[in-house]
Amino acid sequence: MMRVSIIRSTVIDAPIDQVWAVLRDFNSHDRWHPAVARSQMENDLDGDVVGGVRRLSLTDGTELREQLLSHSDREYTLTYCILDSSLPLFDYLATVRLKPVTDGKKTFLEWRSQFRAPDDSAPKLEELVGRQVYEAGFTGLQKFIAEQRELSRSATLDETMAVAAALPGEHLPSTAVIVETPGGPDVLSIRNVTVPAPESQQVRIRHTAIAVNYIDLKHRRGISSAFNLPGTPGMEGVGEIIDIGEQVNGLFLGDRIAYMSRIPGAYADIRCIEADACTPLPDGVSDIEAAMMLKGVTAALLLSRVFRAAPGGTILIEAVAGGVGHLLSQWAKAMDLTVIGTVSTDAKAKFSRDRGCDYPIVVADNIHLAAEVMRITNGRGVDHWVHSSGAHWLDTAITCLARCGHCAVIGGRDGQSIPIDVNVLKQRSLTVSAPVCFDYLDDRSYLHRLAHQFFAKIQARIIIPAVETFPLSQVSEAHNRIESRQTMGAVVLTSGR
Amino acid sequence: MVKVYRSTVLDAPAERVWRDLRDFNGLANWHPSIASSRIEKGHPSDKVGCVRNFQLKDGAQVREKLLSLSDYDYTYTYSILDSPMDLSNYVATVRLLPITEGNRCFIEWSAEFDCAPEKVAELAKTVGDGVFQTGFDALKKRHGQ
Repeated sequence: MMRVSIIRSTVIDAPIDQVWAVLRDFNSHDRWHPAVARSQMENDLDGDVVGGVRRLSLTDGTELREQLLSHSDREYTLTYCILDSSLPLFDYLATVRLKPVTDGKKTFLEWRSQFRAPDDSAPKLEELVGRQVYEAGFTGLQKFIAEQRELSRSATLDETMAVAAALPGEHLPSTAVIVETPGGPDVLSIRNVTVPAPESQQVRIRHTAIAVNYIDLKHRRGISSAFNLPGTPGMEGVGEIIDIGEQVNGLFLGDRIAYMSRIPGAYADIRCIEADACTPLPDGVSDIEAAMMLKGVTAALLLSRVFRAAPGGTILIEAVAGGVGHLLSQWAKAMDLTVIGTVSTDAKAKFSRDRGCDYPIVVADNIHLAAEVMRITNGRGVDHWVHSSGAHWLDTAITCLARCGHCAVIGGRDGQSIPIDVNVLKQRSLTVSAPVCFDYLDDRSYLHRLAHQFFAKIQARIIIPAVETFPLSQVSEAHNRIESRQTMGAVVLTSGR
Repeated sequence: MVKVYRSTVLDAPAERVWRDLRDFNGLANWHPSIASSRIEKGHPSDKVGCVRNFQLKDGAQVREKLLSLSDYDYTYTYSILDSPMDLSNYVATVRLLPITEGNRCFIEWSAEFDCAPEKVAELAKTVGDGVFQTGFDALKKRHGQ
């Protein structure tokens, strides 16, 4: 056996932090080292976990397992050893060290190791490690960093332009959906607009996903006083923060956020929105899923606040295959409620059965809904009823409520007045409520808590949102699909890249 | 505690540059600010603990003590005993590292010292630029850069 000691060093033409950003990742070699075909951390550890083991496959077929023994962001150094190798290298211990070259903003890089090798193969291994691993690595790293700099230079240019465009008072070009006169889906027209810089306590965002809600259809039809014409519909969306107004805390440029707001205007590529309405998104929730925040928060509010539902209860959800319905049924099922739902087709019945609904009832025909509900509940009735189909069927809901039952009227798709006889409610201590999501959410921390409950359910795949997507430019078609009651799950408009 | 760090790359082999650097009495040969230098008590310049006493071109007198010297690591450490600079506890290290690619070398020169807060910026600049970087520039010229 021979003891072999190898030192190779070079100067990389980049500042130390840029070089260290690459090298500090023990799992980065397959991105820059020409001799490394593949690198993977065992147990999916990050590349800066001391003790972590990487598996390297070299381009010549050699397989290696190497373990990170020390790592210092302060000293710009890391040490590792070889655990297993098909090469006769023993007790291989290597150190990579960087030092700043202040005279010219470059980086000194030293790669050294010691190992033992059989006498006859030592010269060959010395050549292999010194030249093909270290020196070839230097060349690869130099090239990789040069390319990275090139990339970041163009990105910085983009950023500079974005920042320049976002100077206070600066308007950004965007496209938005405008409703000028109330009417059917074809009154939705795409216009080029400019979006002003965010005001105090606002952020400006570039949308990636915008969910369609039933209320948007009411706005379009002009049957809501909360929507002024001409105007842009849309109550919720997801996007990236591109600039930040005064007095905004906790949000940063580039944050991926979801929001829901009383103030319509989401059907656009870019918009300004109150910072308070925004919730930064966790990993594991896609933009399209997160765009359903208003629906998810509605479901959470109904179950936890409006109904105060408890395990073992029964809930009936009208339009259970719809945007709110399919989220609510999955959530209710996860809370151990018995879920009954109304749907218009057999296909929707199957869809709902797969999403937590124990008893989907197809009501397209002349079915006697009340009789069916009483049969399912053995004559007891349901504890909670989510009513969303206007005056139609409210009587049925009241008939089918169990003692102390609660019917929440949401949506109200046609704006008709609904007469209620309080004496009927008195007979069984019934409650009929008309909750509007936003009224419960003046405390923004409560909104964020509910939103994160919803996101956590998605992350855990307890709730799997179903989505039909349309590009923003096809917004009329999206409204058409909803109005013709063909959609299952939610409808989301996609925007941008 | 103020820390000053400067480094550079010299286009010359480490052994050759080290011959210049290891002579604790040799600063006057290559550093442009220094007029003359001698080692006190007639000690050899590689005796750890020796004191060099040199005169700057502006007339000021500086005394520095060699604290460590390693031909193996190409490094030495010294402290300031007396100088016109308003600082204390000054300890500096010079270190040379070979760059195998291209047979060049990397030099780092660092110092730590204490001084009044309002003097920090000025002294850090005097030491970093006036002493260290000026020295580097002279070494680069001396080694044909």
